[in-house]
Amino acid sequence: MIKKVLIVDDDQEMLLSLKEGFEKYNATFSVLMAGDGLVATEKLEKETISLVITDLRMPRMDGFALLSKIMEQYPDIPVIIMTGYSTPEMERLAQEGGAVGYVEKPFMIDDLANKVLTTLRKESEGGTLHSVSSGMFLQLIEMEQKTCTIRLLDATSGKEGVLFFCDGELFDARTAGLKGEAAAYKIFSWDEVSLSIQNECRQKERKVHRDINAILLEAMRLKDEAGEAEEPEVVEEEIEEIEELSEELEPETPDPLISIQTRLKEEVGERCGLEDIYQDNSWDGFMAQISRMGAFFGAGKLKLIYLDRSEPNDLILVPGYKTSILLVNSKCPRDRIITILSE
Amino acid sequence: MKKLFNDILSMEDVNGIMLFSFKGELVYKLFLSPLPEEPENKDWWGLFIRSLNGVREADLIFEKSKFYIKKTEIGYLIILMGIFVPTAMVRLNCDMLLPALKKIKISKKGKSIFKKK
Repeated sequence: MIKKVLIVDDDQEMLLSLKEGFEKYNATFSVLMAGDGLVATEKLEKETISLVITDLRMPRMDGFALLSKIMEQYPDIPVIIMTGYSTPEMERLAQEGGAVGYVEKPFMIDDLANKVLTTLRKESEGGTLHSVSSGMFLQLIEMEQKTCTIRLLDATSGKEGVLFFCDGELFDARTAGLKGEAAAYKIFSWDEVSLSIQNECRQKERKVHRDINAILLEAMRLKDEAGEAEEPEVVEEEIEEIEELSEELEPETPDPLISIQTRLKEEVGERCGLEDIYQDNSWDGFMAQISRMGAFFGAGKLKLIYLDRSEPNDLILVPGYKTSILLVNSKCPRDRIITILSE
Repeated sequence: MKKLFNDILSMEDVNGIMLFSFKGELVYKLFLSPLPEEPENKDWWGLFIRSLNGVREADLIFEKSKFYIKKTEIGYLIILMGIFVPTAMVRLNCDMLLPALKKIKISKKGKSIFKKK
């Protein structure tokens, strides 16, 4: 399993030189980059990251704030601090804040890479397994009452996830965009996974309150339901129509992201508060839940979802061939944007 | 309980209200027109509510209806409405409701609600 290392620095040159310098280690880890703490937290939400290297002085969210957020929400992810303005006090604060490493700039890229490799090795100290069913293996973990962190890669979808066990009990789960039980349902439905075991669980707060068998059953039920939804009966005369529809949905059609951006820029201008826009299928499960509720009330087709999650940016999810995700400033003209995008 | 929601329900084209505990149990519902099926007959509400984990409020926009979801002290409040209802007014009314909802306690089984004295 190739791990993902997130490097956070507002210095673009530093980011690029680290990315370039780390290329020779790409059999072990790949590099993601973020320009500040806020962008980093968005990436942490979307991706399964194995390690974070962060600068301290950055705009919007500095390295200490990021470290604190990671310790609170992703305690399993080790953090290495790098800084060009080191003081003994800073080093002490970084260590007390939970950082596993502290490097002063300038440094040799290979020295930092060695530190990264040593830290990443801990992720699989308990062993690795390939081509197993996640459900069956996880029942064994429960039986053996193990305390561990398990990182999984689904061979079919390429998605990654993390499970946290404390004395054999599932405490928490995480996979792109999902946390807790919702993430566990997703992970438990994976049939063929590669996994690595770390013999510790830094997640102390229990967020999953059902036992593994109940989660496994629910995961299977959801998977069956999703399978049924994906395989509708197709009568011959409908084939042509469906082919036309698929052509419409193929990515050759105008890029939905550009179309959304253009509409917002034209109708609202810079005030629209759009911070980022991208496509992400990790919200599919959530979208399916919402669509199911809409179907129950005969509400028709889902047009969009606006989510306020008490974070600096709100999310707008627009269904499509791939779900479009808009990250908007929470002070944006919300109702105006909703009206424009749902027209 | 109905009194609490009077202001919202009296808005034109607001069709109903549901209040779920954080565990996904339906603790209160009021619909102004009958539904083809009772919501409690569906067993996926728990999963639905749990998928809202971390959401403070949400607008769900469909072709024919829209829903406003608000996190409260005791669970998630869901307002069902037509597409032309001004959501800003609904949001405002829900914000005004929050202090009163704080005084309500859900029984352990989640099936009934009590007013704190």
